[in-house]
Amino acid sequence: MSQSSSREKIWGYAAEFTTPAAITQAAKKVAAAGYRWWDCHTPFPVHGLDIAMGVKPTILPIIVFFGGLTGTLVAIFLQVFTNSLEVNLWAIVPVIGYQFEVSGKPLISGPAFVPVMFELTVLLSALTTVGSMFLLNGLPCLYHPVLKSTKLARITDDRFYIVIEARDPKFTDEATRSFLDSLGPESIEPLEP
Amino acid sequence: MSALNVDNTVDDPRQRSPLVLGHTDFASVTNEICAVNEAPKPPKLWYVTLVISACLASTLLVLVGYLVVTGVGVWGNNNPVMWGFPIVNFVFWVGIGHAGTLISAILFLFRQKWRTSINRFAEAMTIFAVICAGLFPGIHIGRVWLAYWLFPIPNQMEMWPQFRSPLLWDVFAVSTYFTVSLLFWYVGMIPDLATLRDRSNNRIKAIAYGFFSLGWRGSMRHWHRYERAYLLLAALATPLVLSVHSVVSFDFAVSQLPGWHTTIFPPYFVAGAIFSGFAMVLTLAIPARQIWGLKNFITMRHLENMNKVILLTGSMVGYAYGTEFFIAWYSGELYEKFAFINRAFGQYAWAYWIMVSCNVLSPQVFWFKRARTSIWLMFIVSIFVNIGMWFERFVIVVTSLAQDFLPSSWGYYEPTWVDTMTFVGSFGLFMTLFLLFIRFLPVLAIAEIKAVMPEADPHAHHEHDPDHDHEEGHA
Amino acid sequence: MKRIDLSRDTLTLGSFGGKVFVLSGVLGLAGLGVSFGLKSIAGNDAFMKSWLFAFLAVLAICLGALFFTILQHLVKAGWSVAVRRLSEGIAANLVWIWVLFIPIFVLMVSGNGGHLFPWAAPEAAHDHLLHEKSSYLNITFWWIRAVVFFAVWALLSRFYFGLSRRQDASGDYKATNTMQWFAPLAMILYALTQTFASYDWIMSLEPKWFSTMFGVYYFAVSVTGFFSAILLLIFFLQKSGRLQEAITREHYHDLGKLLFGFGVVFWAYIGYSQYMLIWYANIPIETSWFFPRQIGPWYWVSLILIFGHFVLPFLLLVSRWPKRFKGSIAIIAGWMIIIFCVDVYWLVIPVVPESALAGAETYDQLVEAVTPASLGWQLNAVDFLLPASMLSLLLSGTMFNLRRCSLVPTSDPRLEESLSFENF
Repeated sequence: MSQSSSREKIWGYAAEFTTPAAITQAAKKVAAAGYRWWDCHTPFPVHGLDIAMGVKPTILPIIVFFGGLTGTLVAIFLQVFTNSLEVNLWAIVPVIGYQFEVSGKPLISGPAFVPVMFELTVLLSALTTVGSMFLLNGLPCLYHPVLKSTKLARITDDRFYIVIEARDPKFTDEATRSFLDSLGPESIEPLEP
Repeated sequence: MSALNVDNTVDDPRQRSPLVLGHTDFASVTNEICAVNEAPKPPKLWYVTLVISACLASTLLVLVGYLVVTGVGVWGNNNPVMWGFPIVNFVFWVGIGHAGTLISAILFLFRQKWRTSINRFAEAMTIFAVICAGLFPGIHIGRVWLAYWLFPIPNQMEMWPQFRSPLLWDVFAVSTYFTVSLLFWYVGMIPDLATLRDRSNNRIKAIAYGFFSLGWRGSMRHWHRYERAYLLLAALATPLVLSVHSVVSFDFAVSQLPGWHTTIFPPYFVAGAIFSGFAMVLTLAIPARQIWGLKNFITMRHLENMNKVILLTGSMVGYAYGTEFFIAWYSGELYEKFAFINRAFGQYAWAYWIMVSCNVLSPQVFWFKRARTSIWLMFIVSIFVNIGMWFERFVIVVTSLAQDFLPSSWGYYEPTWVDTMTFVGSFGLFMTLFLLFIRFLPVLAIAEIKAVMPEADPHAHHEHDPDHDHEEGHA
Repeated sequence: MKRIDLSRDTLTLGSFGGKVFVLSGVLGLAGLGVSFGLKSIAGNDAFMKSWLFAFLAVLAICLGALFFTILQHLVKAGWSVAVRRLSEGIAANLVWIWVLFIPIFVLMVSGNGGHLFPWAAPEAAHDHLLHEKSSYLNITFWWIRAVVFFAVWALLSRFYFGLSRRQDASGDYKATNTMQWFAPLAMILYALTQTFASYDWIMSLEPKWFSTMFGVYYFAVSVTGFFSAILLLIFFLQKSGRLQEAITREHYHDLGKLLFGFGVVFWAYIGYSQYMLIWYANIPIETSWFFPRQIGPWYWVSLILIFGHFVLPFLLLVSRWPKRFKGSIAIIAGWMIIIFCVDVYWLVIPVVPESALAGAETYDQLVEAVTPASLGWQLNAVDFLLPASMLSLLLSGTMFNLRRCSLVPTSDPRLEESLSFENF
């Protein structure tokens, strides 16, 4: 361990805080100092911390809207196609749905198609929500320096960390460390890559 | 201070009652909840119930095998009652499966913070109940090996499912509901799985929890999207939960059978589902909080709130019973009138009156606070409601079919031992899954509970004096 | 937590309230007067139907307000305290709303109600089915029920408005406990009276038709009307310089969500379920109610309802931002209150013309037989004037109710919570 850390560059610094209030105050200062490659790690979503950090609103809802729209269209197509369609694709491929009369209803019955339209809309929206949340968050994540440090394991318990990464253009070993020190953390932890 | 003895059921509009008792720091919350999973050995009672449940679940498997080999003649289903126990059980279990998503989604949208202590295992209960529910229509189709015909899978027979049939809507509704509930449950659990991962003391646990927590590291940038995704899932699950039981009610209500064909069925079924689901949550929560010492999280206030929801939804169900009766009379139709008089005074009157006394009368004790805060009484009422809601489905399915328009085609339905034991066996499957869940997964939403503690407010004072905060709250 | 200081805010109507009260009151009464003058254009029967429609629309808004007020106490809500007084003020119109019901009351009691409610006609006694129902559908029992409904509504709205105002003066937090204590009982009374009122005044317009869902449908209608109305009221009060601090963007957002949830999605759910079940089972006595609503010009009105009451507002309100900007949510609420009136109109007015029904053997023949002339109905000035006048009177009444009290319940112990909460 000692060998590798001396050889490789440091990945970043983690400053430990004990309360949501303290990390919110500190996060505002980090954002104001102009850092870009940095993050807060907390056991639960601290209300307002994302705003203090200057995190932009996510585009997730827009993606989900289109996911849902796809679901509706798929459902309409699926039902119209399977229950009534009779077309010749490119005049050579005959496509025939299963045209079967039940209870005197027309083959394309709007009211009867609504439930499946609704269900598929919700299904695709929900899958899109979770899928794009994982994608945008880069999960599953097999390895991360924050997870490597055993001390930072308390993130999922009761500690709040601000992590500034070394790849930030403003990062310099001494300056960043002393800057973090000025925020009044409990401790500062160097992180290995 | 010891908040253990605080009575948080007192109604003082000047301040909100605490939802977590006995804790003023996050670490102790983590420790106390994780102790359920981390105890080297679970309580003896856990083993006993698991063995019984597993036996019953095996009975279920054997009986399903017997059914497949022999045919549906082993059931009491007959002509005219072609829908017997399997459909009753299906509707019963789907109904139970509504409380979880209701608590997670609807109470979340309504900013009911007390949901955080009960949502996790209510959601788990939902998933297991929907598994039990899905089983029954699956085996009810007779030729089980052709169950895949229910799905729109291209095949050489050029055959597609009939999309104008409400039974097919069920397939879509229930499978969507199962998928979305599972996603909701799992997404909510990721941060807590990460907690268990970081606390694990052996390699198997570390790998298992590590695998399922997907490398969650509590990043605020992740939390930001995570919270938005959770809100969206809640917004999607809310109409979904209404739709599922509505679609189940359509199975009956699109027909022309008196007692089945009535327009109030969709909202009435939804209210009934929430009613039975909450009763089941109580039935499970009361022993769980005693055995695993979760009384600081599932406090008396939570139980009281659930009792209020039971009273409310029980009254809504009562409203629907009343409306059905009134309109049956008001319609002036001979068959409508007969269907309802027959329910109350016909050959299945016993089932009807069990239903009314369990569903409408027994929750009325919850008008009194003494009853709402009495553990034993609420446990008994919750069991009554479970029984009553099963009989509600029995009354709907069986009475209408047994005596419809033509007296010459009337009949009587009796379940066989296979029917009864399959139903009992489904409880075994449900309980087995539930007991395994309690042992191996985070039973309470650890991260969410922390977030509703007064200490989680970033604007709170650094001294961490909750009393002080309260004073400010009503200054 | 944001701290909001209400001392800089204007929390009373002042002379503005008096002006609006007089102006909209005079306009409303004048509108009603002119409508009476135009009675001959519409014809007596059509006029009474329009009157019933307009009355049911304003009644729906007041009932929605009563429901909202009771609900907030039932669930001990904190967020809504700042807007609750306005809701109480709208609900308090239930104390005098019976005045608008007098023409219908007189018509029925004088024995000429048969053109409005067919069961009240003397011929109904010879109809077997109607005769079966006559122990419920008879004029005496009908007016007794009407009196009970109005009495219950007046009592409930008076109780909540009165006690809440007294709390302003006394500052006694225990008043909140009292209001909460009565909330479950009030909710049950509300549910029963609202349901049976919808049976009596709308469903029995077509006395052979029945639907167990109908009470729930009128509930969905009433909350649509109420949430649109309160959003507009807040918007105009803020335009006049009042409630600048007390009512925040978060309140708009939450009311917008409720309008979306109940007025758009829940309404569509109930409307769809009722229609689909009747359409699917296709039992003649039940489909008879949807016939007149899908033939001739009514077909287009039904389509307008689907798109204007569901599709369009759904797309507008599903996103977060339109709910958070005062201007956009006010425009949407304005649209919703118009479409809400169309919805009530659609509930009350359509009938299958007897002449078309007489000759037709099949559905297609019936559709062909329906001509504008045989329809026996055409849109006329009264259909616009009556609801506009009654809405104007509703505004006037609300101003009168709120003339002397604070526009927010200043002593409510949860006011602070309502002022500082944030949607995330």
